[in-house]
Amino acid sequence: MTAFQAIFEHPSVLLMLLIGSVLLYLGIRKKYEPLLLVPIAFGIILANLPGGQMGVVPGESIELGKEHFMNLFEIAHKFGIMNFLYYALIKTGLLPPLIFMGVGALTDFGPMLRNLRLAFFGAAAQIGIFTVFLAAIALGFTPREAGSLGIIGGADGPTAIYTTIKLAPHLLGPIAIAAYSYMSLVPVIIPMVVRGLVSKNELKINMKEQDKLFPPKHKIKNLKLVKILFPISMIIVIAILVPTATPLLGMLFFGNLVKEIGSTVGRLTDAATTTIMNSATIFLGLTVGATMTAKVFLEPKTLGIIVGGFLAFAISIAGGIVAVKVYNVFSKKKINPLVGATGLSAVPMASRVANEIALKHDSGNHILQYCMASNISGVIGSAVAAGVLMTFLA
Amino acid sequence: MSEEYALALKLLGVGMITVFLILLLVVVFGNVIIRLVNKYFPEAEKVLPTDTGKGINRKKLAAITAAVNMATRGKGKITNIEKL
Repeated sequence: MTAFQAIFEHPSVLLMLLIGSVLLYLGIRKKYEPLLLVPIAFGIILANLPGGQMGVVPGESIELGKEHFMNLFEIAHKFGIMNFLYYALIKTGLLPPLIFMGVGALTDFGPMLRNLRLAFFGAAAQIGIFTVFLAAIALGFTPREAGSLGIIGGADGPTAIYTTIKLAPHLLGPIAIAAYSYMSLVPVIIPMVVRGLVSKNELKINMKEQDKLFPPKHKIKNLKLVKILFPISMIIVIAILVPTATPLLGMLFFGNLVKEIGSTVGRLTDAATTTIMNSATIFLGLTVGATMTAKVFLEPKTLGIIVGGFLAFAISIAGGIVAVKVYNVFSKKKINPLVGATGLSAVPMASRVANEIALKHDSGNHILQYCMASNISGVIGSAVAAGVLMTFLA
Repeated sequence: MSEEYALALKLLGVGMITVFLILLLVVVFGNVIIRLVNKYFPEAEKVLPTDTGKGINRKKLAAITAAVNMATRGKGKITNIEKL
């Protein structure tokens, strides 16, 4: 039995196969976030091959009654292994926190601890999330859908996926694609927003010279111990204030803690950053791609998500820049607005891009470590913003 | 619809205030931890020679030490540096 008849009956699957192939091309050839885009694109192709039973079915299909669902064996038997993976790993919200654990184990909070006041710009850069949330409601999205759309502005893939699983799982595919596509386009979007908002003189503000003119009050005398105490104390404080952010930030800080402890738990760090993170990435990508069947993806809302996601991203970058400009009005110690532009997540690509822009205007102006400070605080900021959205909307 | 706008505006305010508050706490707690550690658990500063006498200056020595620490996860110890 071949699938020709199904293709003739539903030719839209051909368009989805084409979309999957284009995304594969972007991932393989153009290297746009290939670690995620390749599994997502392949998942799209698998999901749209008629008769393959690899497309994820909507939640109603596995519902047996009020809050009563099929078990995983029944799901695998009736809808195939991709649905088994999706409902076991994604719908439960398991994989994004696991990826966050790996991210934590790869993150160095050192630059942020050395420049703590720059963490505020990671807060300012979350404005895109809430602005687009408002705009999306005006465009007819439900509040839950609008929340999932807005979170793209946090520029954090796992956070966007986790929030969407909780708020609008039917939009998971398009939102994941939009989030990761725009993250890969950070080298294009940041310079575009910076050109519109920042003058050449501002781009020449040399952070190291400013540090010499106005040296920091406290030099850290035992960085290793500070780095160990920081994740432990922060997760307790954040979890008390925004409990819904705990799964993501808890795993982020745990991953970071094992990294900072060092060689005694080196095997845990290795597992978090390699085996677990890579496995989670594969299954996350494939299953998210498999949610993008023709019926779900070829909807007007997908276009709204693509446009809205871009706006959320751009407004977040602009929010960080404007915050720095306001700060500079009141402070003697000036900050390069590029530091604000990196207040969204997308670590470390946003910082690298900002550093390159600064070096173009002044070859001695290395601002990478300052950008990393606001960039890393942006990871915390976007997870907190996601927690707020989930608290009010889930 | 107006209810949804009200919710959106409320979330805009509450969300941004919460994010700023949390990052304010990051700054405050970070500073408290740094001060406490500086006061009670300061690490003795490592004094590096300005020149090792073998043509390797302080900055290069620091870079080599950092690389060895990273590669050996802090277990390695530099006993001798020779130019090849």
